[in-house]
Amino acid sequence: MKVRWESWGAWLRTDTPPALVALEDDEARARGLAPPARRPARPMPLEVHLAVTSRCGAGCHGCYLDARPDGEEPPRPQLEAILDALAAADVFTVAFGGGEPTTRTDLADLAMAARARRLVPVLTTSGLGLTPTKIERLRAFGQVNVSYDGAGSAYEAVRGFDGAASAESAIRALTKAGIPVGVNVVLTATTFAHLPATLRRARDLGAREAQLLRYKPAGRGASLDYHAKKLTPSQAASLGPTLRELTLAFADETPAFGLRIDCALVPFLSADPELAHRGDLLEALGIFGCEAGDGLAAVTVAGAVAPCSFLPATDLDAIHLAEGFPSNPGLVALRRSEAPEPCRSCPLQSVCRGGCKVVAHFVGGPAAAGRSLPDPECPRVLAERPSRCERWGERAPSP
Amino acid sequence: MSRPLPPGVRAVRLGHGANCSSIGSVVDGLFLAATAGGALFAAVLAALPPPRPDAPVARPRRSDANDDPDADAALDVPRGDPW
Repeated sequence: MKVRWESWGAWLRTDTPPALVALEDDEARARGLAPPARRPARPMPLEVHLAVTSRCGAGCHGCYLDARPDGEEPPRPQLEAILDALAAADVFTVAFGGGEPTTRTDLADLAMAARARRLVPVLTTSGLGLTPTKIERLRAFGQVNVSYDGAGSAYEAVRGFDGAASAESAIRALTKAGIPVGVNVVLTATTFAHLPATLRRARDLGAREAQLLRYKPAGRGASLDYHAKKLTPSQAASLGPTLRELTLAFADETPAFGLRIDCALVPFLSADPELAHRGDLLEALGIFGCEAGDGLAAVTVAGAVAPCSFLPATDLDAIHLAEGFPSNPGLVALRRSEAPEPCRSCPLQSVCRGGCKVVAHFVGGPAAAGRSLPDPECPRVLAERPSRCERWGERAPSP
Repeated sequence: MSRPLPPGVRAVRLGHGANCSSIGSVVDGLFLAATAGGALFAAVLAALPPPRPDAPVARPRRSDANDDPDADAALDVPRGDPW
């Protein structure tokens, strides 16, 4: 069990079952945990997203990293030094990504290096070209998620090519190899309609959970195409009920099939009458909204720390994470930025934290630079600021 | 649904997911009935170190999460901790 002390108590990582538990200070002490004489500087990320390559031949239309076949592959010693830094910073989970991380022939060594440092490595892959040899390199990962936006046309609508069959083959092969596998599903206006069928298909292939990701305007996704692909206001407002239906549909199945949403989808829960005032429940269930530069950090292929994988990197070198993360000026500014109304009075604000900053700044354009803006696609924002939303071309969904 | 965790436990984040871009969170507990939702956490809570026999009963959660005499104020950057 790994313990990490905070000013309010401690995070504990359990491995069986895998979870993070936040204990109040008194509760941690009552369970025999002794805090250090001096508590480490905070905040520090709980999870770090590590780009281990920017090489990828898939050419997905919306790739946030703009990965290419001739992308960079950082040398292994550089990545191991970064893993050292993550361990020193008490990070719990390191998510390997890219580009396509399975192009690395030393992936197993890197995963083992993470394990040796008491980090839990997890991995995202397109699944394209996943051979038995490559699958064997994935055994040390806590979980492997395959990008799978849906069968056939749904997948192609997101990525620009029909890779669904390859992704399905990968899910099947990973399951057969006994590697914990999930799927990452990008939610667009097209894939949202196919979501129940997509999840059912993923489960039937052996996936044990699905993580839903909001399509974001970053990298190759930062184009006018974003407005055509993103969820409609009606779809965004229906996320809560949709998740409810899906959860109940899979609730009694064996083996279990879990549902996750990414940070950028949390604002959409504000439209759900049963959840809109339950910030306390979301907190208790460890649901994270925007944790950029706080509970979450990313490391680019160049080794720089970014608040998240979609935001520009800071000037902080990842090998100095422990010393520099709490006080880096760029990160401090991001943490202290407070979204204006209607976020400030929102019962979900403590979790949501103003929604997705990537979306807010893309939609806001040059005028948004240096400003703290609410997530323009949040149903609460749409409902309470119609004039601004109309300028952005949105309409609040009908009650 | 009432708060599904015992006193002294602020939060439980299930699983670790596997996404290299945005951070994800399990949402099943938001929608399952109290008994089913509680079952999700029972195994996790059972894996924690047990309370010492002489430990006092957990107090209600403090409202000021940053009131910690051990913290080094010069190093800690205030986050506006929501808890």
